[in-house]
Order: sequence, then C-alpha cells, then structure tokens
Amino acid sequence: MKNILLPFLFLTLLQGISYSQDVNLYSKENRKQFADYLYCQKDYLRAVNEYEEVPGLAASDTIRFKIGLAYLKMGDYDSASVNFSQIGSNSFFYNDAQAEFFKSQFLSGNYGSLNTENGNYTSVKQLKSFAYLFDYEPLPSKEIFISPFEGNERGKLSDFYDRKTNPPYKSELTAALLSTIIPGLGKIYTKEYSDGIIAFLVTGLMGYIAYTDFKANHKFREWLFTGLTAFFYGGNIYGSAASAQIYNAQVNFRLSSDMKLFLEEKDYFVPDYEFCK
Amino acid sequence: MSFKMILIFCLWVTVLFSQTDWEKWGKANVSYEMTRDSGQRNYSISGDNAGQIFLKSAVVVYWLFISDVDGDNCPFSPTCSSFFLQSVKETNIIQGTFMFADRFTRDMDIFGRMSHYPIARNKHFYDPPSLYTLDESKIKYISAGVAVNK
Repeated sequence: MKNILLPFLFLTLLQGISYSQDVNLYSKENRKQFADYLYCQKDYLRAVNEYEEVPGLAASDTIRFKIGLAYLKMGDYDSASVNFSQIGSNSFFYNDAQAEFFKSQFLSGNYGSLNTENGNYTSVKQLKSFAYLFDYEPLPSKEIFISPFEGNERGKLSDFYDRKTNPPYKSELTAALLSTIIPGLGKIYTKEYSDGIIAFLVTGLMGYIAYTDFKANHKFREWLFTGLTAFFYGGNIYGSAASAQIYNAQVNFRLSSDMKLFLEEKDYFVPDYEFCK
Repeated sequence: MSFKMILIFCLWVTVLFSQTDWEKWGKANVSYEMTRDSGQRNYSISGDNAGQIFLKSAVVVYWLFISDVDGDNCPFSPTCSSFFLQSVKETNIIQGTFMFADRFTRDMDIFGRMSHYPIARNKHFYDPPSLYTLDESKIKYISAGVAVNK
C-alpha cells in the first residue's frame, strides 16, 4: 500500500503540471466576464474599471451602455451622460441610450436639455412634465401636462398637478392673527393641536396669576407674572407664524417625496434591462 | 513511513498557515456612551457685543448652578438654553427671545413630541433654531422620528 501511494501522488502531480491550462486572466473575454460579474454584484465602480480595460472597447456599444448605466447607478450623472451620448444612431442600444441620457440630465437637474428634437420619445416628454413640477418653468395647462401619460398614471399626475398648483399652505399672517386673538389658536390652525392647547393654558395661567396679584396688590409678583404672560403670549404669536412656515415646508417636502417615489417606482420611464439574469 | 511523513507534512502546513483568530476577532474599542449636549458646552464668556456677552454670562451661571446639577434633562437638542443663545446669535435679542418663549412653551407639551420632531444622535428631539427664524430658505424639513446625525 505504502509502495503504491508515493508513485500515485507523484504521477497525479506530474499529470496536473503536464496538462495544466495556460489561462490568460487578462484576456478580453475574461476581463469582460469579470466586469459583468462585478456589474451584476452591483460593484459598479470596479465594474467600470474592468470594462474600461477591455481591449477594443470603442467597438462595443453594449459595454459603453453598461458603463453609462453603472455611472448612473453610482449617481455620477455627468459621466453617465458622456457614455450614453457616445452610442451612435446605428446601434441597437441607441433609443435606450437616448432615454438614459435624458434620465441622467433630469437627475442632474439639467432640465433645459429636455427641450430637444429628441423630445419625441415618450419618456422624454414624461420627464419634461415632471421637470415642471420641480420648478423648471411655469406649469403648462393640466391637459398639456398630463398628455404624455396613460391610464392610472394620469390620475396620479393630475393629483401632483393639483398639489403643485394649489398647495394646502397655511398663512403665516393668519396663524399669527389667530394667536393674537386667542393664544394657541394659531398653532391649532397649523395642526399643532397639543402645542396650541399648552400655549393657551400657560398664557392663561400666567395672566390669571398676574390678575390676582394685581387685585391683591402684590407689587413685585404682579409685574413678574405680567412679564411672563407677555413672554408666553408674544412667543406664541411668533411661534404660530413659524409653525405655519414649517407646515408649508412639510407640504413641499411631502409632494417632493411622493414625486420622487413615483419616479423611482416607474424607473424614470425608461425600460428595464435584463443584463443580470 | 513515507505515509506518516506526508501526514506530518500536511499537519505542519496547516499549523503554519492557520488563521490567527485572535487577530481577526480582536476586541474593538467601541464607546457605547450617549453623547450629551451638556458635555459639549462652551463655558467661556464671549459674544459679538455687550448684549450677547451679558446673555452668555447669565446662561453660563444657569448652566453651572442649575442645569449641570440637574442633569441632562432637557428633551431637546440643542437644549433650551443653547437654543436661546443660538437664536439670539442668529437673529437679534428680541426675535431670539420670542423664539425662546415659543421653544419653552413647546417644551411643556409632553403629548405631541414623538409625532413632531426628528431624533438627534443623543436620542433627544432635534429642534434647531434655523427652523424658527421666519426665513423660509433656512428651513430644512426633516420628518418626525427620523434619526439625524446631529
């Protein structure tokens, strides 16, 4: 047994060395395969580095397109735009690259680029409508605004349009005036109910103590509590105006969040690619 | 004999290149202490003008003799006294006092806090003066309950 084992091991080793494959890890196919793997693992930065090293890159619009997508996923919209714009009109990916280019422009806030002859694409028209909501230009009429959309999307866009044109803002002046009449009422107007009730109770209590001190002729305390009443009364009027501003900021924030969620859900109206099946 | 030698060789290689677990899983020096606003206070008497210096002096006296003794009890970040100082610095003494009065009233509201303010790193309610200066451009709205790294 012992006499057989050593020659057997030696032969196995010899065979392994003799028939070992001479693998070139840096061949075009291997680099592309590794880059594809990194891309599908969402390791976009290293995927781009690998794709850039693939020989004959200029001839491959697929790789160029995937580099653009990788930059887009990383939030480098300028680099993404550069790569998408390099894909020629005879390419299979041309239409998709155009859609992704305008998506990159939209995400980088360059809404002006959506005014283009290529704006015939539905996705570009849809993004342009959203650009209006992000304060690109004054809003067009509702019919024009929702025209690029179909089905359920129209209802959603109609809602966004209404919330943008008639936001349910609260007036700072009204809030301050209401709190001037009845302490805390301005806060209730801005839907800060518990704050409003507390402000009413505190100001009322301080005022009542000041009143009883005046009646009892307590010289120091009457002015102390009068001062405290004025302190809370003034603070509440000011705070109601500030509360209305914060309420309005909240309205804007919610509209913006809802729109971003909708856009992400629709993936900015560009098609889904199956590169990582 | 040679079989034993191979086994010993394999064992030797395994021991030689074995993973040094005590290095990989070494103890990390992590602090689990919560940060406190009161621990980052600047007790120096300073200000841009006489009014601010006077105000800072009054607040430092309050910190030394009342707040520090009482403990980290203000539910907000920055604390009410720091809020007052920052408000006056950001606006003026009158507006800053109004902002402080409003904060003081909100401090008494123990019912609506959880549904109103984001949560600062020290687990207090994040409520910076910039929200209340009546300058809309300074308002950075953060949803209630969201953790902020402040």
